[in-house]
Amino acid sequence: MTPELFFLLASVLFSIGLVGLVSRRNLFVLYMSIELMLSSVNLLLATFSKVLGDASGSVIALLMIAVIAAEAALFLAMIVHIYRKNRTVDSDTFNKLREEVENA
Amino acid sequence: MLEISIFTILTLFMLGGSIAMIINRQTLFSAFGFLVAMIGLAGMFALLDSRFLALAQIMVSVGAVVVLSMLTILTINAKRENLPYEPNKYKWIAVSSLLVLPIAILIYQSTTALYQSFSTMEPVSSKVVGKLLFSQWVLPFEIVSILLLTAMVGAIVIARKDKDNTEKEKEQL
Amino acid sequence: MLSLIVILPFFSALLMAIVYLGNTKEKRYFFYTLIGVGTPAVSTILSFMVGNTLLDGSATIHHTLFQWISVGDFNIEVAFMADRLSVVMISFITFIGTLIHIYAAGYIKEDESYGKFFSYFNLFMGSMLLLVLADNPIMMFVGWELVGLSSYLLIGFYHQESSNITAANKAFILNRVGDFGFIMAISILFISLEGTGFTFDSIQENIGMIDPDRLSLIGILLFVGAMGKSAQIPLYVWLPDAMAGPTPVSALIHAATMVTAGVYMVARYSFLYELIPDVGIFIATIGAASALFAAVIASYQSDIKKILAYSTMSQLGYMFIAVGLGAYSSGIFHVFTHAFFKALLFMGAGAVIIALHHEQNIFKMGGLKKELKLVYITMFIATLAISGIPPFAGFFSKDAILVTAFASEHYIIWGVGSLTAMLTAFYMFRLFFTVFHAEPTETKKVHAVPNSMTTPLVVLAFGSATAGFLGVNEAYGGSSWFNTFLALPDAPLHLSHAKEYMLGGLNVLLGLLGMWLAYQLFAKDMREVQEDKIYKKVIINKFYIDEIYTFLIVKPLLFLSNFIAKVMDPKIFDGLINLNVWTYTKSAVLFAKLQNGKVRYYALYILVGVSAMSYYMLFKLGVVS
Repeated sequence: MTPELFFLLASVLFSIGLVGLVSRRNLFVLYMSIELMLSSVNLLLATFSKVLGDASGSVIALLMIAVIAAEAALFLAMIVHIYRKNRTVDSDTFNKLREEVENA
Repeated sequence: MLEISIFTILTLFMLGGSIAMIINRQTLFSAFGFLVAMIGLAGMFALLDSRFLALAQIMVSVGAVVVLSMLTILTINAKRENLPYEPNKYKWIAVSSLLVLPIAILIYQSTTALYQSFSTMEPVSSKVVGKLLFSQWVLPFEIVSILLLTAMVGAIVIARKDKDNTEKEKEQL
Repeated sequence: MLSLIVILPFFSALLMAIVYLGNTKEKRYFFYTLIGVGTPAVSTILSFMVGNTLLDGSATIHHTLFQWISVGDFNIEVAFMADRLSVVMISFITFIGTLIHIYAAGYIKEDESYGKFFSYFNLFMGSMLLLVLADNPIMMFVGWELVGLSSYLLIGFYHQESSNITAANKAFILNRVGDFGFIMAISILFISLEGTGFTFDSIQENIGMIDPDRLSLIGILLFVGAMGKSAQIPLYVWLPDAMAGPTPVSALIHAATMVTAGVYMVARYSFLYELIPDVGIFIATIGAASALFAAVIASYQSDIKKILAYSTMSQLGYMFIAVGLGAYSSGIFHVFTHAFFKALLFMGAGAVIIALHHEQNIFKMGGLKKELKLVYITMFIATLAISGIPPFAGFFSKDAILVTAFASEHYIIWGVGSLTAMLTAFYMFRLFFTVFHAEPTETKKVHAVPNSMTTPLVVLAFGSATAGFLGVNEAYGGSSWFNTFLALPDAPLHLSHAKEYMLGGLNVLLGLLGMWLAYQLFAKDMREVQEDKIYKKVIINKFYIDEIYTFLIVKPLLFLSNFIAKVMDPKIFDGLINLNVWTYTKSAVLFAKLQNGKVRYYALYILVGVSAMSYYMLFKLGVVS
């Protein structure tokens, strides 16, 4: 059981989360990819905790979980709000901040 | 031997779940994949001698977060037509995985360069966590509690139905 | 005192210009005449005084006004030099110039731009004097250019007619073409001298250090300038058109002074030309060709001033034969005598034109010998002089030139010169008989000619008769005073007196032959020019040279200018710039499309950036291998 495996797993999870963040339009999938990325960081923290023999790593990960919960609440509330207004969960429909180009 | 096989199973859970999450078209199935991944993660925490963390993960991340997101998904109850139409999903996934590759390699290489072996540690139980949490980490603890309070209030404010919205919804229905 | 000769005319021109511009309508007749005619008179007196000092045997006078340019080796001062050559030139330039100014006062009297005329006229005098008295080639060039400018201003004096302006432009542009050669010559000369100073004296000392090929180049290029200024082939086409200016202008500029600047220049550079005799032969050939060419054309012209213009070109050819073959003094001598009788001829023609209310066609004149007696007598003297009949001035100078040609064994040039002499007599007497003797086809009322115009005629007639005696060579009992005074490096001649008498006699014979032919053909009835035979048609149309030039040079240039202005500038250059703008706009639009407002894309851009950075860190920096 070397730490390398855990490190590898953490980086793979992170990259999967990143791929999901960029590729999907569905707001829920977007949210869950972000969660995945945060969780991979948690895994990394726990591994470091075991490597260094210090329990502080776990404590930090615990606090991170609390933050994750808070963020979940807000994110989902926003999705509900947005759905009420626009009747869609497609992130590509929200492009009001784009550059208006007159076709010269 | 045992450890390695458990590790392998848990890895499969996690990887399978996360890949299912990003690929699936239907939102609820993505949520299920996410659930599986989180459970796998909890198992990983236990494997790393952080028992309290594993419990907390199950309770919060699975029991609260995933349940809440499933609840929201089901409340919104989007019909098949209203779900986003993603024609080039796999193309995007391919391109971004290619781009993400160096980042992953970088993370892996930089962490393995630092630490090569585990050291022995007593398993982190609630006693150890509690001791640390109220001595060394008390300030972040307090701040996180305020954060949770703020998040609660904020969520209620954002998601409440104000009068105009209610009228519009009634019309649409 | 030397510098005053040049400065006074310039100053008076400026003064009259300021006064004229103050009120262009008011004809301050007395003021303009006083200043305009008085200044050349003062210059004349000063020139005679300077000439006197040199006659007494003193050396060349130098006078520096101020340093103009001083850049490294290139030091040019505004300085004047009066050596024997320049003194001779300024003497007759100012003297004849003053007489023509007096004449002009009567000729231009009725014109309302009276003041402007005298301002320009004095500007010309100053420029010509500057050219002649210059101490170094650059000052001479300044005078050269200013003379060209004055010529342009004066030819286009009657600016209401657009054809006059065209003629003025033609004169200036052709002059400019010649000046191109002149500038090249001066530049090459300066470079070849390698910093040993750039005044005529220092150039004369150091001329040996330049190798002969380069000297030949300089000599030819200088002559190109002379071709333009002195109307030789091929840059002569402006001279007949320049007759559009008032007659005093034709008399002074295009007969007596400006056109002789080319000959003066060659004489001034005699120290250069004597080292390159081949270029001299080239010059003499061009001169001979121009002389014959002009004489042929003049024989068929019907405008009185144009006949005289071609006659000037022809006589200039003689001068260039002389200086080309090394007889610099003879060339200058012919300049001297020619100034007298040509100015007289032009002024007489002007008197006739005024008398017949601005009629210039000789075939509409006739039988004027009774009414314009004074003009008749003076023009008779001048015509005899130009035809080379002794003892009038033209005989001695023309004879000296032809003797030089014969003695240096250039028999073709001598033959051409002699033939031209006969033709000269022919066409000049054709003019004379047609205007004064032949029966007029219609009677015309003759206007009276004012005294201010006739008095100079008398003075010049006297000069035409006697000026020749200054340069009589030993064969005829004279002492060649003119030539010895000038002390130019003439090529030595060896010809027995017998041969000289024969040649002289031949000249006289040819002159009398021409006169007799003209008498037979033109003295009785008016014989107009008929364009019946082909050769006549070609000659009357001046060999179509103008048309050839227009076709070969003017039209392509105009086409090129048009092309550049209409096609190249808007389409190609503007097109390039528009292409640039279009590229920028299009790429800007392209880049704007990147910002489509979708968060997913922005995340992708961030991913790309981070990916590149980590790629770089991984493999190039070797964070970990």
